[in-house]
Amino acid sequence: MDVDVFDTDYKMTARGRGKLYEVDHDSLSQADIERVMQKDVDHIKGVLDVDGDSASILLRHFNWNKEKLLEKYMDNATAVNEAAGLALPERSPQPGRSPRPQSTGPTRTTRRSTAESSKSGKTKAILERISPPVEEPQSFVCGICFDDSQTKYLALSCEHRFCTECWNAYITSKVRTEAEQWITCMADGCSLVASNLFVQQCLKKHPKTWERFQELLVRHFVSSNHSLKYCPYPSCTYTVSCPSAASKSSLTSMVPIVTCGASASHKFCFGCAIDNDHRPVVCGVAKLWMQKCQDDSETANWIKSNTKECSKCQSTIEKNGGCNHMTCKKCKYEFCWVCMGPWSEHGTAWYSCNRYDEKASVDARDAQSKSRASLERYLHYYNRWANHEQSAKLSVELYAKTEKKMEEMQMTSDLTWIEVQFMKKAVDEVSKCRTTLKWTYAMAYYLDSGNQKELFEDNQRDLERAVEELSELIEQPLDPEVVPTLRQKVTDKTVYVQKRNEIVLEDTAKGFLEGRWQWNQSVEGFD
Amino acid sequence: MDARLRRVNKEIADCKNDKTSKVSIELVDNSPYHLVGSFDGPEGTPYEGGHYEVDIIIPESYPFQPVKMKFITKVYHPNVSSQSGAICLDILKDAWSPVLTLKSTLISLQSLLCSPEPNDPQDAEVAKHYMTSRSSFDETARYWAVTYAGAPRKSEQGSKDVDAEVAMAGLEKAHVDRFEALGFERAKVIDVLRRLNYRGANVPKISEDRIVEELLK
Repeated sequence: MDVDVFDTDYKMTARGRGKLYEVDHDSLSQADIERVMQKDVDHIKGVLDVDGDSASILLRHFNWNKEKLLEKYMDNATAVNEAAGLALPERSPQPGRSPRPQSTGPTRTTRRSTAESSKSGKTKAILERISPPVEEPQSFVCGICFDDSQTKYLALSCEHRFCTECWNAYITSKVRTEAEQWITCMADGCSLVASNLFVQQCLKKHPKTWERFQELLVRHFVSSNHSLKYCPYPSCTYTVSCPSAASKSSLTSMVPIVTCGASASHKFCFGCAIDNDHRPVVCGVAKLWMQKCQDDSETANWIKSNTKECSKCQSTIEKNGGCNHMTCKKCKYEFCWVCMGPWSEHGTAWYSCNRYDEKASVDARDAQSKSRASLERYLHYYNRWANHEQSAKLSVELYAKTEKKMEEMQMTSDLTWIEVQFMKKAVDEVSKCRTTLKWTYAMAYYLDSGNQKELFEDNQRDLERAVEELSELIEQPLDPEVVPTLRQKVTDKTVYVQKRNEIVLEDTAKGFLEGRWQWNQSVEGFD
Repeated sequence: MDARLRRVNKEIADCKNDKTSKVSIELVDNSPYHLVGSFDGPEGTPYEGGHYEVDIIIPESYPFQPVKMKFITKVYHPNVSSQSGAICLDILKDAWSPVLTLKSTLISLQSLLCSPEPNDPQDAEVAKHYMTSRSSFDETARYWAVTYAGAPRKSEQGSKDVDAEVAMAGLEKAHVDRFEALGFERAKVIDVLRRLNYRGANVPKISEDRIVEELLK
C-alpha cells in the first residue's frame, strides 16, 4: 500500500530533539486503527454502492489495497464478487435443498434467525433423517452434528444450513485455533464468506471470541500495510506507525527503534524481530550476528531443522505433516519444501529436488575449514558481546542492591530521598549503555578493517571504559564518610557516560546515512 | 452429549449400516477418537483385490478441523509415502469442510488410488517411477498390493522369476544382477538404481559410468 496515503491519515509527532539515532513514529490504539479501517470501508461503500460488510470483505480480499480493488471491480464486478466470496459462481454445485438465490452484484447475506422460525410455529424438528431432500422446512437436521433436536439454524446467502451451535464451534475453531479472519461457508467447496455481522450473530454468547475476531481484522489490516506494525509484546493491542521505516531499503541507513503507546517498556525494532533495541547496528547486520551466535544453540537447531523461511515473505514456517507442497499461510506463496523453489516449476521437473548436489557439499566443506580459522576471531567478539548481555541481565539484581544502598545512604548521611536518586539514574544509564556496547561488538565483527573501523573502536573503547568505571563506583561498599564525594563522582560519571553513549549512537547513525561503513562480507540490503 | 462424540458415533453407526459402500470403520481400543478405516483397492487398478487399512485420529476440534489419516497398509502410490503412509490429499488439509465425513474421506482415498496426481507427489521417487514407465510402475504397485494388501497373485506373475527386493523397488532383475556382478553389494545396487530411476525409457539415458560413480560414493 502507498505510504503517502497514510501520511495524511496519521498525525506525525514532531520530535524536537531530532537525534539521528531516533526515529519519528506514532502509536495507535486498536480503536484508532478501527477508525482508519472504517474510513476505507466508508470510502469503498460510497464509490461502489455496496453495504459496509461487503466493502469490508472486498477490502480484505484485496489486502486493503483500495486502488487495486477499484480497478478490478470496475473491470469485472461479478468476477471480483465471486473471487472475494461475496457471490456464488455461476455454475456452482448447489445443495438440492433450496433454490439458489440470484447473485448479480454484491449480495447481502441473509440470515435465518430463530425468531423467524419460532414465529412461524416451527417448534421441533422431525426426528428421522431424510436422505432425499424433501421440501419440508420443519424437518431440519444439521448435517454436521446430526443433532435432530436443533431447531435453530443459520445460513449464508448460499442457503447451506447448519445449526447455530455448529456455526459457533466452527467460527470459534477458525478464530481461536487458526487465527483466521476469512471465514468461509462450512459446506464442501462453498467459498462464500461470512460477513462481520454474521460472525457477530454467531458469537453473540461469546464476546471474547468476537473480540478476538475484531483483533484479527485489525491485525490483518496492519500486516497489509508496510508503514504499520503490531506491538509484539504479549497481549498488547497497540500499533505503531513509522512511515520512514516502511521500505526495506530504509533499513540500511537507520535503526527504527520505536515504542508503543501502552508502555514505555514496549520498545521494539520496527524493521526486525531480533532484539527490542539493537542500536547502533542496522537490522541486516544484527540478523547476521544473531544467526551466527545461535548456530550452536538448541533453539536455533530446532528452528533450523524444523522450520524454513517462506522465500517470498520470509515468514518462519514449521512443517507439521503432510506433503512437500507448501502454501505460505501469510502470503499464499506455493513452494516446494525440499528445494524451496516455486511449486509451479515442479509440474514437470520436481525430481531435481531429491538429487544429491555435489557442488553444494564441496562448498560446504570449504566453508567449514574457513570458519575454523576464523573461529578465534569470532570468539573475541562473541565473548565481549555475551559479557555485556549477561551484565545487562544482571541489572535487575543491581537494581535491588542499589535500592538497598539508597536506603542505607538516607540513614547514614543527611541526604534526602530525592538526593540519592543519582544511584538509580546511574544504574539505568549503565544498563542502557551495556545494550549499546553489546551491539557495537556485533557491528565491529562485520566492519571491514580500516580507518573507519579504528575510529569506531576508539569510540567503543571510550564508552566501555567509562561504563566499567561507573559500574565499579556504584557497586563498591558504602562508607558514610565518603558519601558526598561518591555522589559527586557518580553524578559526574553518569553524565560523562551518557555523553559517550550518545557519541557512539550519533556517529554510527551518521555513518549509516553517509554510507561510511564498509562490511567485510555481504549484508542484506547493502551492495 | 458432546457434539464431537455424537457425530463420531453416528458416523461409525452409519458406516456399519451401509452395506453398499464397502468401507468399514473399527475402533482400535475403547476410544472413539482413534479408529481404523478400511476399504478394498479399486477395480481396474494395480490395487484391485487388496485390502487397505487407514489409521484415523479424530482431533479435538473435529469436525471443524480435518481428521488425521495415514495408510497402515503399505501402498506404492505417488501421493502416499512409501515409508510412513502419509497422504497428500487436499481435503485432509486446506480443502477440508466440516460436512465431509469419515466415510466420504475414505472414499476419497479410494478414488485417490484410482487417479494418482504425480505432479503433486508425496513420495517423489514413486512419482518419478510413475512418470517414467507406467507399466513398470503398475507392476511394482501390483507387487506391493500382493505382498502387503493381500491381493491375489495372478497366474502369469507367478511364472516370472521374481526377486522380492528387486520387484519391491520396481527394478529389472537383469539390471541389478549386472551391477552386482561388478562386485557391488546387492542392497546398494538396488538403492542406487532406484534413486536414479533406472527404469523403462530412462535406461538408455543413464550411462553405466554414472551408476558406477554413484555406487562408489
